[in-house]
Amino acid sequence: MDKNLVKDLPNFRPNKKPAKNTVKAIIYHVVGIVLSLIFLFPIIYMLATSTKSESAYASSLGSLNMFLPDFANLGTMFANYESVLVNYDIWKYALNSFIYAAIVIVLNVLINGLAGYVMAKLRFPGKRLLSFLIIFLIVVPVETSIIPLYSIVKIMLGLKQEMSVLGVILPATISIFNVFLFTQFFEGIPKEYEEAARIDGANTMGVFAKVIMPLSKPIIATVAVFCFIGVWNDYLWPSMILPSANDGSWPLLPIQTALMSIQSIEGITTGEIMASLIITSIPIFIIYVAAQKYIVQGFGTAGLKM
Amino acid sequence: MLNTTLIILAIFIIAFAGFAIYDLATAKRRKEVYRVKSSLTAYLMLLPAIVLAFLFIMLPILYSLGYAFTDYYLLKPNDINFIWFDNFKAFFSELATKGTLYHAIKNTIVFVVGVVPLQIGTALLLSLFVNRPGIGSKIFKVCFFAPVVISLSVTSFLWLQILAPGENGLLNSLLGIFGVAPHDWLRDPNTAMPCIIVLSAWQGCGYQMLIFLSGLSNIRKELYEAASLDGANGWRKFWLVTWPGLRSTFVYIIITVFIGACRILTQPMLMTGYQDHTVTLSYYMYQQGYTFRWVGQSSAVALIMTIFIGAITLIQRRVFREKK
Amino acid sequence: MKKLLTAILSVMLALILSFGMTACGGDPGEESTDKDGNTIVKIMFHVDKSATEGQAYQKRINAFNAAYKDKKIKAQAVFKARTAGASGYETELLNNQIEGTLADIVTFDAPNTAAYAKSGLLYDISNLISSEDQAKFYSLNKYDGKLYGLPIQESSAGFFYNKKIFNQAGINVSGYTAENPWTFEQFKAVCAQLKSHCTPVDMRIDAVKDETAPYLLYSFIHAAGGSFTDSTGYVANGYYNSAETAKGFQFIKDLITAGYTSYEIGATDFFTGKVGMYLSSGWTIPDLDNKYKEHFKNRDEWGLLPYPKDAIAASATGSWSYAITNNHHTDKTAIVELLKWMTSAESSKAITDATGMIPARKDVENTYAVGTPEYTLLKQLELSGKERPVTVAYPTFSTTFNQVITGLKTSEVSTLLAAATNTLQLEMDKLQNLHG
Repeated sequence: MDKNLVKDLPNFRPNKKPAKNTVKAIIYHVVGIVLSLIFLFPIIYMLATSTKSESAYASSLGSLNMFLPDFANLGTMFANYESVLVNYDIWKYALNSFIYAAIVIVLNVLINGLAGYVMAKLRFPGKRLLSFLIIFLIVVPVETSIIPLYSIVKIMLGLKQEMSVLGVILPATISIFNVFLFTQFFEGIPKEYEEAARIDGANTMGVFAKVIMPLSKPIIATVAVFCFIGVWNDYLWPSMILPSANDGSWPLLPIQTALMSIQSIEGITTGEIMASLIITSIPIFIIYVAAQKYIVQGFGTAGLKM
Repeated sequence: MLNTTLIILAIFIIAFAGFAIYDLATAKRRKEVYRVKSSLTAYLMLLPAIVLAFLFIMLPILYSLGYAFTDYYLLKPNDINFIWFDNFKAFFSELATKGTLYHAIKNTIVFVVGVVPLQIGTALLLSLFVNRPGIGSKIFKVCFFAPVVISLSVTSFLWLQILAPGENGLLNSLLGIFGVAPHDWLRDPNTAMPCIIVLSAWQGCGYQMLIFLSGLSNIRKELYEAASLDGANGWRKFWLVTWPGLRSTFVYIIITVFIGACRILTQPMLMTGYQDHTVTLSYYMYQQGYTFRWVGQSSAVALIMTIFIGAITLIQRRVFREKK
Repeated sequence: MKKLLTAILSVMLALILSFGMTACGGDPGEESTDKDGNTIVKIMFHVDKSATEGQAYQKRINAFNAAYKDKKIKAQAVFKARTAGASGYETELLNNQIEGTLADIVTFDAPNTAAYAKSGLLYDISNLISSEDQAKFYSLNKYDGKLYGLPIQESSAGFFYNKKIFNQAGINVSGYTAENPWTFEQFKAVCAQLKSHCTPVDMRIDAVKDETAPYLLYSFIHAAGGSFTDSTGYVANGYYNSAETAKGFQFIKDLITAGYTSYEIGATDFFTGKVGMYLSSGWTIPDLDNKYKEHFKNRDEWGLLPYPKDAIAASATGSWSYAITNNHHTDKTAIVELLKWMTSAESSKAITDATGMIPARKDVENTYAVGTPEYTLLKQLELSGKERPVTVAYPTFSTTFNQVITGLKTSEVSTLLAAATNTLQLEMDKLQNLHG
């Protein structure tokens, strides 16, 4: 990672800019690279460790070598990746996570978007109670217990066996914070857009679907990215409610839960664990880098007035 | 369980209806106009969110707060009795005898007081640093955010290596070059909490940087130009334009970082284990509820903590909010 | 668009409501027979299915199903890996109990026997397993005089040592065997000789975030003649803070004070040749055989020494066990068949062959040559194995034990034990009140 960083730096052209600015730019980038290294060292460590055998890893601990690959055995650099991908069916669990995330994103945007629209644009009796509840639930951090949530999903709703997949998806589709984000964002959309659509004969739903949603790409992208990261990184809850797979059938576990289980296997090496962690972090990085611009816009336009 | 839930649902519906009627009754005075059709559409569109929020957010909260008044023991889920305020009495007697709970509260306060300014300050500086055009700043932005998405267990393990005691530790060997004697960072009560504060701020500040950036993107360029015309230098421009422009972002960040800091759990758990000099309130609750299996008592602590944090947050909102 | 939205949302609502309705009807629990009339027996394991241990269990289950086809009993294995943190496996057990889907046989960690038995999670099998059968096990999971579980396998620990370093230092430890262990004083003498060559011993005193330190170190207290609780598991005062108990902890403190061990030893320092001895359980044997070839070529370069003795010889034991649960299946006949099958000499051998641990039964034939690490562990278990305290307050015991170990460097043993005893006794009183 650090090597790419250096490669991607812009070429300075001293002859085209005054000397003072060039010096400034160089200092800026040097400081930036040092700061980046401070923030990147876990990733450098993970990448380095994922290339090592257990023995090489143990020798490198406690010295700077833990951040460098095992130069003596560069030929077998990808042995850990190979063994993780071949032995543990990681792709099946990754596919599960993608499917869960996709469903959660669609439902989350629809459900919370609708609620945010109502809170931002419509008038109805009882609205003041709901706005108070929204702020209250965001501001007051109630320590939700996973124990009653489990009882609600398993016993009250009776989501068992294959149905417990719904227990993974449904609780993730509602987020008070996302309602808040949508509300703030929609409040910034000028009335004129809606009124124009109303004159053309659109009803409330039509305005939401045809006017509001197309204008809300940044906030939708923001919510989608954080939904994805949430679903992708969650391991405790799915591990509690999903049944373990029977022989031959497709496993239901998402990626992180499966990874935790794989990591508990006696004899797995640190290098293999790091390789699996690297593989599973790649989607998050890609999605984050791709959506970064929208996230800044999304938060920015929403205003976040508490 | 279903019966209790139905009772809670009924209370919720009655309360909502009450407020709705109150709104209707006072509509004229507030110069508000409600239309039947528009209101019905609103309810219909809110319904999915309300049903889900009731089931998966409100109910678990109410149940877990309810447990605070019971003797719920994890291994006896079918034998839960109301003991009303006994858990709270136990809370205050442990506090009075300066037991683990006392240390938990003290450490949590130390952590919050340390991490909130450090994390927010770092995030603000980073956002000012990357808030400029060019490919370099874009790459830095991604790098600074990286720790946010890496699992806490990986980063904690790394910090354990860095802070390892003796000459083995990376930090100690680095300081050794300058002739500083090796130090046991995490076992020394004076340095353990500061270490946890630094690594938490390091891990979290990328997210706040992003939010500051969005706040910065909202400040209009003309304001800076106007300030320049008035002869303001960089520092004055920051105070005159940037700082006021970031105000609402800042309120949001201070509230969320504060709440997050109060709930610190994983770092002390992975770095030191259950020790008096690093135990925090959330860690205490976790240990009481899961390891020692006293769910009731753990919930009582949660309830007290919720009230406490809620009160402080409301004060913060009042203090920092823009005057209308 | 509007129609689509309404459709999606109403389907969702309908789903939620209908599940709510079905739940109202009450839950009869899982079916106990399948469509062919086989009695289904469910068994839950704490390891991942693709682990060698998991595969060994699955093979024994398959063999059971083949053998009991005519008797119409069918075993079904569920694998729920015990993942790090959040005591996930225990939560699973409890949740299944609430839900009414608790497996007929579950595996559990031995120190939980008291708490699980007291809370009614486990079924009393005292009368289902004959006393001859019981006598064949090295240890049994008993609480309050009743039998609640049978061990899957056994564990023992000891001091792995680096033969290269020992040879350099001219130390001969061939006389210290499981049958004739060394003493606390001899242990200190070896450390003193090692000190000029390396850090003498990794006592694992920094492994205090989980059960590692309590498991590896509690037997030193027994060796010094001390103990932690009375036989009921409700009294710590007078045991945990007794003079003998203090003597055991003082031995560990002396090692720290003399510089023989420290909190500063890195987790892999023994494996890379920086430390002379390493206190660990049998699971380190395969690691040394396979993972660290560069530092330990073969078994000529490392060996295993028993625990040192003082007033008595004592060594760490304990592992995971099988128990029959108190679930809705009241007819336990088929379930006992499976329990007996899984704890038979044949199963015991198959599983320990896969895990490298010690068989739970004495009648499993072993071919370990005298002097091998496996032989030392087995003999030590037989002669001096002592189980961890049996008390419903075990989690608190474990936590206070870790706190004492952490405090050894800076505080006096008596101060630490007074605080630990106080905390543990309070918890025991609370639990006695709860259980009535």
